[in-house]
Amino acid sequence: MVNGYIARSLTEALKIRAEKDVVPYAGGTDLMVENRKDVEYLFINKVPELKKISVDDEYVRIGAGVTFTEALENNDVPKLMKEAVSRIAAPAIRNAGTFGGNLGNGSAKADSVLIEFVTDSKLCLASEKGERIVDVDKFYLGRKKLDLKSDELIKEILIPKKGIDNYSYEKVGGRNALAISRISFAGVFGTENGRIVKAAAAFGAVSDTVLRFKDIEEKLIGKTIDEAKAYKDEYLKAYAERMVLTRGRVSAEYRKSVCMNLLKEFLTKNGI
Amino acid sequence: MADIRFVLNGKEETYTGSLSDRLLDVLRDVYRCTSVKCGCKEGECGACSVLIDGTLYNSCCVAMGAVEGSSIVTMESFRETKRFEALEKAFGELSAVQCGFCIPGMVLAAEALLSKNPHPTEDEIRDGLSGNLCRCTGYNAIVNAVNNAAKEGNGLW
Repeated sequence: MVNGYIARSLTEALKIRAEKDVVPYAGGTDLMVENRKDVEYLFINKVPELKKISVDDEYVRIGAGVTFTEALENNDVPKLMKEAVSRIAAPAIRNAGTFGGNLGNGSAKADSVLIEFVTDSKLCLASEKGERIVDVDKFYLGRKKLDLKSDELIKEILIPKKGIDNYSYEKVGGRNALAISRISFAGVFGTENGRIVKAAAAFGAVSDTVLRFKDIEEKLIGKTIDEAKAYKDEYLKAYAERMVLTRGRVSAEYRKSVCMNLLKEFLTKNGI
Repeated sequence: MADIRFVLNGKEETYTGSLSDRLLDVLRDVYRCTSVKCGCKEGECGACSVLIDGTLYNSCCVAMGAVEGSSIVTMESFRETKRFEALEKAFGELSAVQCGFCIPGMVLAAEALLSKNPHPTEDEIRDGLSGNLCRCTGYNAIVNAVNNAAKEGNGLW
């Protein structure tokens, strides 16, 4: 019985991925908890092409194999992402866990994924046939369902460089360290010439995927702070109606109250 | 079966089992590194902490295929070092050890922390040890011990 494959380069990894039925193994922190015996792993934890962080005109590009610790030690990774990642688990898990793994595991509780949603990040997916870029919200088709073909690997996460400095981030967990998010919230706000240009709000760990309602956000765009204040009740009502949450370790009602409180706090913080 | 080559406590080893075997189980059952404790098997307790290429990992969350070409250190070799002497002295003086089950992990977490940050603040020590659970001491004695080791072992890290 062959029990897995160790890839030393991206080319080799993509070849194995195309030819065999394998589960990509990056950090192992989720896979080894499941410890399934019926799968073969493709070990990509030492593939150098997946371990790079680079910057281009528009994006900070984080390799899928970059660990949370490596991101925290890097000067190009945006502050918002660092704040979320610094609250993940504990050092030994952050030393192993990767951005690609957080995505690939498909959970709405993934703390780095929340930030990718709120910043409109994109993903670069690679196969032997080439690469394609997808929006992170399109990548998540449902709980544990991803737009990732059986011959593809997540190669990079592309986080926009601009417009994400004014942010809010809250993680609600059962304890300080080693906490799995019960509710997480990230917001990004921006104004230009007195008018709102960005009011992104994303909620993690409360549904099958991270939730973001761009149509409600749109209603604030172009408004002045005073106009937004006048619109606030309607805005909150729209969220309350749309937020149909699932029960998890905590009740759906509790989750919804906390989400609404965090959303209100996000508005207040930005003068609304 | 693939051969997995790695260095364990300074000695070259070749493992011929499955790539998906847990490092924790292999260290204990094959190589008899029984300092590596099995607490939870889900990365929650830190009792199975080891250093891989100088970095702290929970060995329960590592498959053997991931350590090909790596160098692993457990307490079996770390206890021969000067740094361990400093930690042992501080842990002993402050009664930071009660049942002892978490201590190999605690000591390696302290080593990982001090290697990166030789003069940590109390908050930094607490963060460095935050993945290691202790059900006996209430943590303060351990935090103080790491603080003392850092001070008294000045220059070792």
